[in-house]
Amino acid sequence: MNAPEPLLRLSGINTFYGLIHILQDVEIEVGVGELVSLLGGNASGKSTTLKTILGIVRPRTGAVTFDGEDVTGRSTSHRIGRGMAIVPENRRLFGPMTVLENLEMGAYLNRDGTGRKADFERIYSLFPLVYERRSQLAGTLSGGEQQMVAMGRALMSHPKLLLMDEPSMGLAPVLVERSFEIIQQVHEAGVAMLVVEQNANMALSIADRGYVLSTGRVVLQGKASELIENEDLRKAYLGR
Amino acid sequence: MADEETRRERLEEGVPAASATAGPQIGVDEWVARSAERRGGRGGRLGVVEARLRTVPWWAWLTLFVAIVAALPVGFESGYVRRVAFDTVIFMLLALGLNVVVGWGGLLDLGYVAFYGVGAYTYAILSADRYDLHLPVFVSIPAAAVVGGLVGLLVGLPSRRLVGDYLAIVTLFFFQIFLTVSNNSDSIFGEDRAGGPNGILNVEPLSLFGRELPVSTEGIFNVAYLYVALAFFVVVFVALRLANASRTGRAWRSLREDPLAAELMGMPVNWLKLTAFAFGAAVAALTGTLVTALNGSVFPQTFEFPLLITVYTMVILGGAGSQAGVVIGAIGISVLLELLREPGDSRFLFYVLSVLALVGTLRFSRRLAIVLGGTLALGFVVHSLAGAIDGSWTAGAARDGGRLGEWATQWVVVPSSLASWVTPVSYIGLVAAVLTLTLLRGRLRLALLVPTLYLAAFVWENVMLAKPEPTRFVVLGAILIAVMVARPEGVLGEKRVEIV
Amino acid sequence: MDTFIQLTINGFTLGSVYALIALGYSLVYGILKLLNFAHGDVFMVGSFIGFGALQLLGGSTAPKVPTWLLLVLITLAAMAGCALLGVVIERFAYRPLRNAPRIAPLISALGVSFFLAYSMQLMFGSEQRDYDAFSLSGGALFFNGFDIGNVRVPLLRIVIVASAFALMIVLWLLVTRTRTGKAMRATSYDREAAAMMGIDVDRVIVFAFVLGSALAGAAGVMFALRAPTDVAIGFLAGLKGFTAAVIGGIGSIPGAMAGGLILGFAEAFTQGYISTRWSDLLVFVILIAFMLVRPQGLFGKPDIKKV
Repeated sequence: MNAPEPLLRLSGINTFYGLIHILQDVEIEVGVGELVSLLGGNASGKSTTLKTILGIVRPRTGAVTFDGEDVTGRSTSHRIGRGMAIVPENRRLFGPMTVLENLEMGAYLNRDGTGRKADFERIYSLFPLVYERRSQLAGTLSGGEQQMVAMGRALMSHPKLLLMDEPSMGLAPVLVERSFEIIQQVHEAGVAMLVVEQNANMALSIADRGYVLSTGRVVLQGKASELIENEDLRKAYLGR
Repeated sequence: MADEETRRERLEEGVPAASATAGPQIGVDEWVARSAERRGGRGGRLGVVEARLRTVPWWAWLTLFVAIVAALPVGFESGYVRRVAFDTVIFMLLALGLNVVVGWGGLLDLGYVAFYGVGAYTYAILSADRYDLHLPVFVSIPAAAVVGGLVGLLVGLPSRRLVGDYLAIVTLFFFQIFLTVSNNSDSIFGEDRAGGPNGILNVEPLSLFGRELPVSTEGIFNVAYLYVALAFFVVVFVALRLANASRTGRAWRSLREDPLAAELMGMPVNWLKLTAFAFGAAVAALTGTLVTALNGSVFPQTFEFPLLITVYTMVILGGAGSQAGVVIGAIGISVLLELLREPGDSRFLFYVLSVLALVGTLRFSRRLAIVLGGTLALGFVVHSLAGAIDGSWTAGAARDGGRLGEWATQWVVVPSSLASWVTPVSYIGLVAAVLTLTLLRGRLRLALLVPTLYLAAFVWENVMLAKPEPTRFVVLGAILIAVMVARPEGVLGEKRVEIV
Repeated sequence: MDTFIQLTINGFTLGSVYALIALGYSLVYGILKLLNFAHGDVFMVGSFIGFGALQLLGGSTAPKVPTWLLLVLITLAAMAGCALLGVVIERFAYRPLRNAPRIAPLISALGVSFFLAYSMQLMFGSEQRDYDAFSLSGGALFFNGFDIGNVRVPLLRIVIVASAFALMIVLWLLVTRTRTGKAMRATSYDREAAAMMGIDVDRVIVFAFVLGSALAGAAGVMFALRAPTDVAIGFLAGLKGFTAAVIGGIGSIPGAMAGGLILGFAEAFTQGYISTRWSDLLVFVILIAFMLVRPQGLFGKPDIKKV
């Protein structure tokens, strides 16, 4: 399907909360520089998948490999250090800290601070608005501005893989479109992305490939262009 | 917030997909249908016995239990046993009351002991010679319980506006205010009206049906008080049992399990909290009357922080939420505290419990033999080495001798006089060793277990036995932490499967 | 007027000690949302470590090092010892309960507080320990100083207040300027999001315990330089530090400082103008009033529930 060694591979993932089986034999791959969408309705296991990738939730069986390393047993901090980054659902900015400090937190593991200045400039050139707001408290920003800061924060660490959890959630339609433009822009810069979305239409329109989760299983996968034509998917998620 | 969201999502995700063999059945929620599987149970013969015992109804247990306690004075003539039995029933009552607040309401009430004091003082005021009211007990005892409950409502009221931990703060400060006021009551109300630190004396004993119950006859504890306390216990136990089975009881539980969901379901959360709180306070106040009647006096010093911790340990050890659990916890802790008073009993308790704990964790295995044998051998080696280097190191006498004491001094190093640094170094070393043990696994753990046991014996013989008072409370604190960390559901509480 | 000045000085000294204790509560509460009931007892242990260090250095009557160095050394010893104690408490009593219901770590904290207080009594008895600061340098700490009107401000008080404020400033800089400090703030606002940034939340929590306990250790020494210490001081001092934290807005660092000073002044003035007997009660009345009127404290933000 892809290059022989994908950037991220979930194989045979089974996750439980107590005795409840959440993810069942989930297999997902994201290749280097690829943009993959993970679709699914409420409670389909999307968030759990993301948390498993990040190591916040540990699978009972299965393995997570990232950039050639088996990271299944490693801490979240280790994985972030290896080149993952996330734009969490609802952005989750640090409200009482300034925009600048939020960006710094994004580069938390970049201890030495070399090239920190260049990183800030890179983010500012991508999101000029963030520069204007840099000394404002993050909690006082509008939804669209927060989205930019959240993306900037995630990009501060030069991720190889950027995870996006529901980027369209809670944004005005105009901003959703803008948000997806940015995603595409970042993707074109060579960053692999896994975009988790309910908004299947939008997500598939920019993606290379897609997976559809339903009650913890991958029920559909394939090229985005094919998925978008899939009858079942259209009925279930696109409402047409 | 975010946690709530994910939890809700998981709840929804939690409905398991249909398994391969049986397709999804309409109207059957698997989560509910398989609830039994989530309950931990023992296998094997023990499991069968356990399952059988579970079918015995609670009132049968209660009857059996009351019968045993009631028969105690028949078997034991000594006033000491009767007095300890009475104190234990008092602790059982206190634990039952606290269980309503902590176990059912899920609230941290740090002023609980103050309500006990409110009951005690109310009864004293209504019955002491000093105030010359002398109300009959059928008025004064319920009155005290009502006053306790009302004060509980009053103190709980702020928690309507304050979330979570703030209730703990408010109650803790209520406790402080109670202590300050009762200790200084003489200067607030005037010395002719209140006793301050000297308390209230000459409170008349209980009188039932026109007959006064003397506290003791010929210096022997009047067993009638034990029976009265037991009657209180039965009434409180049954009343709370019924309350818990009622709509309010169910609401308490849901409130504790998930306050947010309870609120979303439209439950009067604040009102429920307040009732749980007031119920507990009323039980505590009721208990206070009994103790005051028995002692014939009440002093502010009775209601201090260590008592609060004692009752908490009982509830937590037995299993907050389970009535039978907290009663057992109360008995266990009460007997434990009693045994720790006397060096002889205390020593016996230490060795028996240590061996039992080892058997409990290692079973009858080779590892058990290795640990026991190793500890014994280590002891003899250390003992003879120490004796050879300096005779005075092993020349100490066992405290409160007895056969076991003599044996112990043949094995544990007991110097005739302890250098001042030995106490802190050995004690801190013991704590460090125990904490390290919890981090180790396998052979390393067994290896460290041997010296730790010997060190524990050394500390017990040389440090703890010398000072029973702090030892009792150190043990309580340790139990509280250990239970919380290792088995938060307590001995009898049912393990809850947390839906993260 | 002289009384007023005298009481103001007392209030300042008391207040800065309370503020140091309050900071420990606030730091831990900010991150774990845990009322660390054992904190007062850590403070008490600090005063004992200071006493032990003082004896090792020859005691107040025959110190082996100059007075200033002596003070620095015993304070550092207490800070280091308490920091270690804080780490141990967090690791063994709180960390296993990280995901337990809210009430569980609170009860564990009660147990720790009780265990510490009575362990100390077991080891050292309940006698008072006096640092006897009066003997240091022939009483210079008490006789020297400067005057406001007719009132002498003793050197000891100046040293206590100045070093307390110095410590607070250092803490403030640590939290606002350093990478770890910022990570602490991020973690206290949103633990999961902080973890998603690669912040090692466990380490941040340990760091908060280290800072808070070290400050409590310093406060213990400052307390014991003025008055004899014993194993029972932890409870009341803990309550007051905690009250100060709540008044200021628990979780807020400037709040803890302000709360500590308010409490110190309130106590000093009640003692001076009304009666020592009522000073403790007044503290609690202030607290309850605050909790009813402004439960989020002076500097806290109202707790907005996001449902």
